[in-house]
This record gives sequence, structure tokens and C-alpha cells, in this order.
Amino acid sequence: MTERHYSMPITTHFQKLIKSFPMDEQALIHDAQTGNLDAFNTLILHYQDSVYNTALRILGDEDQAADATQEAFISAFKSISSFRGGSFKAWLMRTVTNACYDELRRQKRRPTTPLEPDTDDGEEMDSPRWLADPGMTPDQKAEADELEHALQHCLNNLPLEFKSVVVMADIQGMDYSEVAIAVRVPLGTIKSRLARARLRLRECLQGFSELLPTSFRLEEGSNV
Amino acid sequence: MNQRDLELLSSYLDGQLKPSDSARLEKRLASDPALRAVLDDLRSARGLLRQLPMRKAPRNFTLTPKMVGKNPPLPRSYPAFRFVTALASLMLFFTLGLNFVVPQMAQTPAFGMGGSGGGAPEVFSASEAPAVPEFAATEEPVTQEPSILMQPAPTETVAPAADSAREVETPSEKQGVTNSADLPAETTAQTPPEPPVPPVWQIVLAAIALLGALAMVMMRQAAASRWRRK
Repeated sequence: MTERHYSMPITTHFQKLIKSFPMDEQALIHDAQTGNLDAFNTLILHYQDSVYNTALRILGDEDQAADATQEAFISAFKSISSFRGGSFKAWLMRTVTNACYDELRRQKRRPTTPLEPDTDDGEEMDSPRWLADPGMTPDQKAEADELEHALQHCLNNLPLEFKSVVVMADIQGMDYSEVAIAVRVPLGTIKSRLARARLRLRECLQGFSELLPTSFRLEEGSNV
Repeated sequence: MNQRDLELLSSYLDGQLKPSDSARLEKRLASDPALRAVLDDLRSARGLLRQLPMRKAPRNFTLTPKMVGKNPPLPRSYPAFRFVTALASLMLFFTLGLNFVVPQMAQTPAFGMGGSGGGAPEVFSASEAPAVPEFAATEEPVTQEPSILMQPAPTETVAPAADSAREVETPSEKQGVTNSADLPAETTAQTPPEPPVPPVWQIVLAAIALLGALAMVMMRQAAASRWRRK
């Protein structure tokens, strides 16, 4: 146990320490609003995983998600004086969603996707997963051997407004009112978007049924 | 299945329906296997999404002052220095202006000859004043007077003054030693009045302004160097 502690990097220790203590969020927000960067950095350490994961699921790319997360935190610090209370997480999620929208708009203007992306070892992928689509062959489907990639693929196929709602509600576990604050749409719209997003995901995931755990196998031909 | 039912099922899954709506939907679910199947599908889709692993952030996203464009924090005494420097500068300019304007205002009634005729006649009369009684008998001033008056005074202010000075000197040179007694009287008449603010005060104010500005620059540089070291 002691060895494990010492083998961990100090920064990891520090982060765990921060997360283990109850955080006086309101006091930190108040200090950050007066320009205290250290206070805001404490908030960042607390929320960075959630913010990064939201960006990752919306954008579907780790590097872009990291960039969007950084942009979101910079933007959040600059506009923290506009935070008027309520759920800070929802407010942060709105910022990261906007950063993701900006990133996607930038991609549309200047598409830079490589034709043959490299693997971690620097080799070209024979059949990259990002090329997968509902019409791909069984062999290609078999290559999408991880459930996570299948899910990410289905998420990527969702319209942006559905994607942000489903990521926040189902992946981040935020309640409807928080999602409504983050996306700035009425609660009824959130319900509608979430229902349709789940339906589309269900339809998409049917194409990956062999990858799904038995308990999650989806019934074919439901009458929706 | 219509959109309304789909929304009802999704909200029911999240416990977002009113109890009465829930009860009604549950009755329908009990009698409608297709509706139940859709609910199961939605539940499965939600369950899969919730199973997605939470990735750890690849690095810390903490911000540095440079990233947010913050200026280095200045010492607490900085505003005091700024205030003193600004005040000293303002007072310096005020006293400079005062010392420039007040003597001119004081000179105007003394040499004015009761008129507001501009600079040329005043200069002429000032230089002429002590000389006129002496040269009343001579011819030169009489012959020269019309020539000066004929000139357009407002447009050529310097030339007549120079002329008059030359003209005044000419007779006095001619007079030689006999007119030397008039010289002290001329000098006393031309001595400017004392400035309202002593120059030593202006020097002190200028020194305060300069030193304050220097201290501010040094404070900023020190703060910036500390900032860079962070």
C-alpha cells in the first residue's frame, strides 16, 4: 500500500488529495470571480475529468477534446463574473459545449482529417474505426471490436444538439434541469431531444449487436 | 409508436413523469408488449451509455496567468506612487502655466498707454518713454515718428519694435556719457515681476514626478520578472 503511494506521481497524489476533501465550491467560485487564479485552478482539478469526457464524447477525438477542454476553461475563467449561482457544473458544461461547437465549426471550414490515421505505434490503420458507418461490411464491423468504439461511433452519427444532451444526461448523469441550463433550451426540448437521441442510438447499436453484452442485447424490430 | 409515447417512455425511464402520468403509462405497458419492448430498448441504450468508461484527463488543464492574459500583480504601494506622481505632474504643469501667465498679466497695465492697440505701440512707447524728453529738441525723433506710424502696426509687430530699439539707441549713442544715467531707469522698468510660484517649488515637483515615475517603472519590471520566474 505504502509502495503504491510512493510510486504515484506527486501531481496525482495532489489531485486525489484535493478530490478527497470536501470542496467549498461557492467560496472558490467567489474567489475566482475576484480574479484568484489559484481558486479557479482548484475548481479545474475537480471538474477537468468531467469536462474532458464531455468534450471527448461530443468530438470523438482525444486531441480535439483536450484542446476544447483547455479553451473551455480559459473561456470560463474570463467569463466567470457572469456566473450568477446555480449549478456550476451545468455552467461549465455549457462552456465546454460551446467550445466543442466552435471546434466542429472550425473542422467544417477546414477539414484536416488524415486519409490514413496512424495507430499509437505510428503505423497506418488498415481499417480505421472512424470510417465505420451503418453500411459497413460484417468484416469491418468485426474490427470495431470494442463496445466503446461502437458507442462512440453511434454518438458521432447523432446530430450535435442530440449528442450534447445525451452526453450530459446519460454519460455525465446530469439531471434534466442542469442539462437545460447547459444547453439553454426549455426542459420540454431536453426531454424530446433525449428521447429521440436514445432512439437513434438504439437503432445504431443494433448494427453492433454482436459486440454488446448479453444483458444489453437489443430486441430486433421493436415497433418504434 | 408516436413521438409523444417515445418521450413519455424516456422520461418514465428517468423518473421524470408525474405520478399520475406514470401510473397511466404503467397500465399501458402492462397491456402493450410493443411499448414494453421500446422501453427495454431505451433502457438498454441508456445502460450502455452509462457503461462508457470515464477517461482520465490526459493532462492537467490548470491555467497560468499568461494563458488568461493577466497582468503581473503589482505591489500594494503602487497606487500610492501613481497618485503622487500624477499629482506632482499636474501641479508642476499648473505652476508652469501660472508663472507664465501672471507676469504677462502684470505687465499689460504698466506699459499699456491706456489703449489696447497691440504689441507694436506698447513696445515703442516703452522704449521711447525715457528718451522722448531728452530728444524733444532734436530733429531725429520728429522725422522718425511718422515713418513708424505709417507702418501697419498689427502685421509687423517685430520690425517696428526693432526699429524703435535701434532708433532709441542711436540718439543715446550720440549723447554718449551724458545719457548714461538713464540706463538704470530703463533696466528697472524692464525687470519682469517675481513669479507667483518660486522656481524651487517647480524643481521639487519635477523631482517628485520623475522619481515617482522611475519607482513605478522599477516596480513593474520587478513584478514582471517575478511573473516570468513562476
